[in-house]
Amino acid sequence: MDTQLVSLSGTLLYTAFVLLIIAIIPIAMSMKTEKKRAWNIGFTMVIVSFILMLGYIVFRWIGQGHAPVSNMYEFIVVFAIMIIGGLIITYFYFKTRTLALFTIPIVLLLIAYGSMFTREASPLIPALQSNWLFIHVFTVTFAYGILSMSAVAGLIYLLKVIEPKEKSKRAFALESLMAGIVVVISFIIMTVVMTGIVGYQDDYYYVDRQGNEQVAEYNLPALIVFRDAIPVEHVGENNYEPTEHMMTGVELPPVINSQSLNTVIWSFIVGLIVYGIVRLSIRQRIITLIKPLTRKVNLELMDEIGYRSVIIGFPLFALGGIFFAAIWAQIAWSRFWGWDPKETFAFITFMFYTIFLHLRLNRGYEGEKSAWLAILGFLLILFNLIAINLLVAGLHSYA
Amino acid sequence: MALKEIKCSSCGHVNPAGTQLCQSCGKLINEDYDKKKIKDVMRYDGSAVRSKVRSQTLYDKIWNFFTSIRNGVIIIALISIAAAIGTIFPQEYFIPVGADPEQHYQEHYGTLGYLYYQLGLHNLYSSWWFLILNGLLALSIIAASIDRGVPLFKTLYKQHVKKHDSFFKRQRLYSIQETTIEDDKVSSIVSKLKKMRYKVRTDGENYMFEKGRFSRWGPYINHSGLILILFGSMLRFFPGLYIDEIIYVSEGETVAIPTTENEFYIENNRFIVENYDQEEHDVFSDALMNAVVTQNFQTDVSIYRNLNQNVVGSRPDLEKVDDYSIQVNHPYRFDGYEIFQSSFDSSQLRSMTFFLEDADGEQVGDPFVVDLRTPDETYNITDDIVIDMRAYSPDFLEIADNGTLVSQTPVPRNPAFVFEVNEQGEDPERSFIRIMGSTPITDNNEYNIRFLEAEDQVASVLTLKKDLTMPFFAVGFVIFLFGLFIGSYINHRRIWIKNDTAFKLAAHTNKNYFGLKKELNKVLESEDIEQVEDKFVIEQTKKDK
Repeated sequence: MDTQLVSLSGTLLYTAFVLLIIAIIPIAMSMKTEKKRAWNIGFTMVIVSFILMLGYIVFRWIGQGHAPVSNMYEFIVVFAIMIIGGLIITYFYFKTRTLALFTIPIVLLLIAYGSMFTREASPLIPALQSNWLFIHVFTVTFAYGILSMSAVAGLIYLLKVIEPKEKSKRAFALESLMAGIVVVISFIIMTVVMTGIVGYQDDYYYVDRQGNEQVAEYNLPALIVFRDAIPVEHVGENNYEPTEHMMTGVELPPVINSQSLNTVIWSFIVGLIVYGIVRLSIRQRIITLIKPLTRKVNLELMDEIGYRSVIIGFPLFALGGIFFAAIWAQIAWSRFWGWDPKETFAFITFMFYTIFLHLRLNRGYEGEKSAWLAILGFLLILFNLIAINLLVAGLHSYA
Repeated sequence: MALKEIKCSSCGHVNPAGTQLCQSCGKLINEDYDKKKIKDVMRYDGSAVRSKVRSQTLYDKIWNFFTSIRNGVIIIALISIAAAIGTIFPQEYFIPVGADPEQHYQEHYGTLGYLYYQLGLHNLYSSWWFLILNGLLALSIIAASIDRGVPLFKTLYKQHVKKHDSFFKRQRLYSIQETTIEDDKVSSIVSKLKKMRYKVRTDGENYMFEKGRFSRWGPYINHSGLILILFGSMLRFFPGLYIDEIIYVSEGETVAIPTTENEFYIENNRFIVENYDQEEHDVFSDALMNAVVTQNFQTDVSIYRNLNQNVVGSRPDLEKVDDYSIQVNHPYRFDGYEIFQSSFDSSQLRSMTFFLEDADGEQVGDPFVVDLRTPDETYNITDDIVIDMRAYSPDFLEIADNGTLVSQTPVPRNPAFVFEVNEQGEDPERSFIRIMGSTPITDNNEYNIRFLEAEDQVASVLTLKKDLTMPFFAVGFVIFLFGLFIGSYINHRRIWIKNDTAFKLAAHTNKNYFGLKKELNKVLESEDIEQVEDKFVIEQTKKDK
């Protein structure tokens, strides 16, 4: 029964995902016309998709007996859901269509990325067995969802303001951001193809930092491996035998996770090739392709959304990400603050938005400057949500 | 330079030096100000901000340094960057207990790790310079808040309803008509704005509407909360206010709770580790296929009060106070203390059982049990065989030159013994016994002492905390959040209307002009009055073109 509920929740999320993809079409069409029909269809699909996503949360929660916020997959998905929530709230207040068009692809990318991690229902370790788990995580991700709106508004603002043809740092920076998104998309498609469809797997035996024996499973050809890695083959149970795999001879000390770095390098290679092909075929920067979507955008409104979402999201973040977090840390780990890497980056995120608000309120950082800061804030959130858990081993590494 | 008070040329109000807008009628006093952006002048309602007025003496300069938002932002940025550097490698308190940090960082993180250690970055958050940065932030918060908060407070509490004509044009939202409008319409506007919870004040043909002024104190309230938090973090350095101890207590053992001066004792009745059962948790079957996941760490304890606490040298007379099961996320609280489940230690041995074997390999008598904490001196095997323990080392390291056994620690992890088998009428036979071996000391031993089994000793590791500084953090953060929420979620909105020679209307808010414009235009539209435009937006649009 419980297992069925969990798999039902997965189906709901999948349906919501597909619905969001389809919703892009009417929403994109509504950009060119004053008529409401296309928009109404598209936005209704977004709302239905959001309800399905809430269904995912509820059923998975009942099924596994705890809030679905306990591993990377669940985290990233809840973050994506909250962004849709933030979008809907922002729409009802500001009635801006363009925001939806730019938010949905980001949400789709996040859900796809989250699905790279293990999706199985996992039991809670003792430290996570507390109601503070959902109170803390839902408040933080809700704040993130709202704060993300400022980044999307900032992105739209910049696309509108910056001329693709101009030779400037800002145009280069914006184009680089787009290239970065191409790299992320390449990473996701590559991983899905290589693990799911091709089924590529090379195993390498190595000794990790703590001196433990490990086997790294590469789903992409190994350009770099751990120091003194030996190509091995899985022969059932926990047994491995030496074999022949691709070796470039590049070996790195175990302090760097060569396997992750290998994936990153491949993502950049493939992503930049894809980017290069697109760039060569259109003979322009790719922001030229996206810019027309922002034609009807009201800059002041985008700036207002950018500012307002920070002002609404920041106190919520302080509440969930610092205050609730501290209460729970006191109960579970006997100290409310301990400079664990994740805590530290919550602190840095907090400080970053403090800077944002002070610069904006007292030093006139509006418009473009504010837009760049909002995007930087979003990258910081992504870093804290995802990278910290993967890079640094701390109390928060559940993945 | 003497700073003179300024008399307003329009209404005659005397303003303190440095005032930008007359504090009574709102006429521009400092002509230079007009060249700057229109938004600046209303920030503190055009009042005289000390740091913007005086910059002569050293004291002024220091004051101006700390009140500068730019400097404040730099300090915040430096703290954030420092905090980020602290996550590159684990801090010292995350590396294994007992490891030599110098060696550890070098071994695990190479040259960079060595550098990290040498620069003291392995203890970054308690380093003197990180504390100084936080101290500077505190000074900056205090100075900036007083500098701006005090004049703002004064201005907002003695606002005059009547404003100079030029004041209207200075606002972002304004509407100026050619003629006056009917009194009916004005009173209709008044009643509509009242319904929107504006407070109304009138002075002849002048009207002033205001709501949400409280939100202006938000920043000052939240800064006060932060100061309280920073103050609380300094209190940690006073002894006694913060207690952080480890209680190591084996199953069945009772120990005094540290820092209670033997008033309280804790007994470990049982320590439990439970793992998730695949059968029981069907939904997790995939996850549990390849991994063992702990479901529960628990220590069942009894807490005792010592009735003989004040009698020096007496044996404790324990009276049970409470029974509790301490789990992760469920600490036990008593008398301002909290006891947390931290970890456990099963590396120790409680007892070892041996038996005696004769030359033919036959067991002689019953096996004997050696309690490793308080071992007996002699063990009776049969009526005429007795085994004496000649030496014991709970955590064997080596045999010293004088023949005694050297113990690494007093904890029974790797015990070693010298046993002497005494049979009536025979010479004593000695042998050296360790976990993995037995070496005869005397020649031609007839008997062998064989190891049968060992019983593990499970100890629970509990954390004892008492933190009297916590109220400062808790209250400080609640104040901070309260200030932050009212400052962010409530808008201070003011609308001025003048209907003397012509109808003039202006509106100001500390933030969210979008919302104010929407709200105001709804009223104006219903009265058929020209709607307000955001002057800032118009300027921006011009600039864009």
